[in-house]
Amino acid sequence: MKKECVAMLLAGGQGSRLYVLTGNMAKPAVPFGGKFRIIDFPLSNCTNSGIDTVGVLTQYRPLELNSYIGNGQPWELDRLDGGVHILPPYQSADGASWYKGTANAIYQNIGFVDLYDPDYVAVLSGDHIYKMDYAAMLRRHKECGADCTISVMEVPWHEASRFGIMNVDENDNITEFEEKPKEPKSNLASMGIYIFSWRKLRQYLIADEADPDSANDFGKNVIPAMLRAGEKMVVYRFDGYWKDVGTLDSLWDANMDMLLPGSGLNLLDRKWPIYSRTPSCPPAFIGADADVGNSVVAKGCTILGEVKNTVLSYDTTVGEGASVSYSVVMPGAVIEDGAKVRYAIVGENCRIGKDTVVGAPPETAEDPDQWGITVLGPNCVVAQGDAVPAAAMRDGEVKA
Amino acid sequence: MNQMHGIIFSYEKKTGLRELIEHRIHGSIPFAGDYRVVDFMLSNMVNAGVRDVGVIMHGKCQSLLDHLGSGKSWDLSRNYGGLTLLPAFAYAEHREGGGQFRGKLEALGCVRDYLWSIRQDYVVLCDSDLVINIPLDDVLQRHITAGADITAVCTSVLGGRDDVYFKLDENSRIIDTAYDLFAPSGYRCLQIFVMKTSLLQQLVDECMAHNQYSFQHHVLQDRVQALYLNAYVWDGYAAHIGTVQDYYQRSMELLRGDVRAELFCPERPVYAKENGSASTYIDPTGECTTSLIADGCDIQGRVKHCVVFRGVKIEQGADVENCILFKGTVVKKGAILRHVITDKHVVISENRTLMGAEDYPMVIGRDTVV
Repeated sequence: MKKECVAMLLAGGQGSRLYVLTGNMAKPAVPFGGKFRIIDFPLSNCTNSGIDTVGVLTQYRPLELNSYIGNGQPWELDRLDGGVHILPPYQSADGASWYKGTANAIYQNIGFVDLYDPDYVAVLSGDHIYKMDYAAMLRRHKECGADCTISVMEVPWHEASRFGIMNVDENDNITEFEEKPKEPKSNLASMGIYIFSWRKLRQYLIADEADPDSANDFGKNVIPAMLRAGEKMVVYRFDGYWKDVGTLDSLWDANMDMLLPGSGLNLLDRKWPIYSRTPSCPPAFIGADADVGNSVVAKGCTILGEVKNTVLSYDTTVGEGASVSYSVVMPGAVIEDGAKVRYAIVGENCRIGKDTVVGAPPETAEDPDQWGITVLGPNCVVAQGDAVPAAAMRDGEVKA
Repeated sequence: MNQMHGIIFSYEKKTGLRELIEHRIHGSIPFAGDYRVVDFMLSNMVNAGVRDVGVIMHGKCQSLLDHLGSGKSWDLSRNYGGLTLLPAFAYAEHREGGGQFRGKLEALGCVRDYLWSIRQDYVVLCDSDLVINIPLDDVLQRHITAGADITAVCTSVLGGRDDVYFKLDENSRIIDTAYDLFAPSGYRCLQIFVMKTSLLQQLVDECMAHNQYSFQHHVLQDRVQALYLNAYVWDGYAAHIGTVQDYYQRSMELLRGDVRAELFCPERPVYAKENGSASTYIDPTGECTTSLIADGCDIQGRVKHCVVFRGVKIEQGADVENCILFKGTVVKKGAILRHVITDKHVVISENRTLMGAEDYPMVIGRDTVV
């Protein structure tokens, strides 16, 4: 059946900059904020925006992500017509290939999009934390009669050179796109969220695929090609909370933003719920001697020790006399009695033994340049009495 | 697997639940921060491989209907079978006027068509006011092994005068059933029964034809000789929620680790309805000890020895101790609460002080602004 707008969610990223944390999973499956995974954000945004057909393009270690998405029921994407579809690379009559780039991933699924004969396609990224109404963006796209609308946000000028920057005219038409410009002419950074008129995009994808020199990437190839050809391209200005959590530091930052009232990341707000698939567990129990402050606590937690400035995911345990601060603890992790965890990301199902020390505060570092967040990969075991220094990274399992 | 059908009775009974059942029937009373009472029995059934469940309801069942929905939270939303909601529409035709069912047999007689459509060989009957985590598949196995006609789950933990008590012989056969006992003794019936579907159908028809409506009287008592009634003794956690005091005491018990370990054992998870709330946030000014805290709360005040449901907000300077706060309760700045149960969406205004007593907790009805 015809759909007005179909969303294509790029979730194939290897997440190599999250190092050990991705373990056996794709980046969008990484837990976030107590009871979510990163991909909950774009999926919930789709549902809340009235987009009921979503293709999720997967490639790298997809098992965990596939089983997490399942039939899409937690995001109300289990539909009779449409719903969420996992789209891995597949073998066709003329051979098989991996997704060579973001544009190629969509190109290889032109058949899927055509099934729904949409007027518009939203291309989303699977590693951003944000709440956004794609319907409002689509309205702007239609009002402008645009071929492509790119959502942007204003970033501080001194940071602008780290982003893909859009230069616009007085009507917010895009005149130029510069990837990480040394001397930015604008501070409008692309958020990697696009709405295209499907017929137009379809042509460009086919042309892009025919070009042997193309990297088949939206940012590097398709967007510049459309600009060169003079297509109508506009920006959609977004001023809410948005963060790319592609690096360990940004993932930690974004989790900490939940503890910062002014950060704009308010997940308790029920107007725009973020859905997730979580196992059933009883409410969190906070013990008689526990001391919990400025922290996020999810169901299934047992807290007997001290927890400060920390995000505790569901089903985690903090033993007696243990103390956890400025950390992100992922589902199922156990921090045993007397252990000290500071400035760390503790992966899923880690076990931190009694009286161990993981991570250290920045002020204790002799050389501030050497200091960093300590990261334990999923299933990592830190033996009793052991210590994991600041900026260290430990792998918990042999990767398949 | 799939050889047993579940039937849950949820209709108005005479109880001391006061405001807690002002807007609802037993099954939908919130319990343990994240659940409704009926969730426990539904989960027991699902964990035992039951895939078809009927819920017989009557009275103020809107809240239960909302809660159960299609049954998908318990994996009971199926194309064929799954959860069947049975508001007893046939009731009025059956007897004059409204009122309560006189007994389980009468309730079953009102849904006779449904009873005859059951495709499993066995059926388990239970009430919706019992909080328990019991392996019903084991009850069924023991029922089959014993060759009994009916197996009743009972406990050696005695209760009140309203309960039904069994006397057992050395083979766990029930030899006497009694209720209205001034001095309770024997084994207390937990109102969970397993039997062949065909036997239940036969009993319902027989009893309806003779104006026999009460399961405990007309079956357990009158047919104690004619049928082989077998007892399954369960001495684990089993909380019958009959009065506000029961409710309060049983809730507070959950703050004990051993009780939680038994009720929330990992091999038999209890399924709750997911509503997409975020994790709870405990503010730097918040202080929270010896408490159960569900998701989606915002805690800025002091909380001690409490059960806190989803989406509760406790503002700075509020002081809450020994309380049970249902979903969406807001306790404003400086309010002090002791031994209070607040129903859904109650608002306690700034600087108010409310004190209940441990043996008589104060209940604030739904949507009240104090």
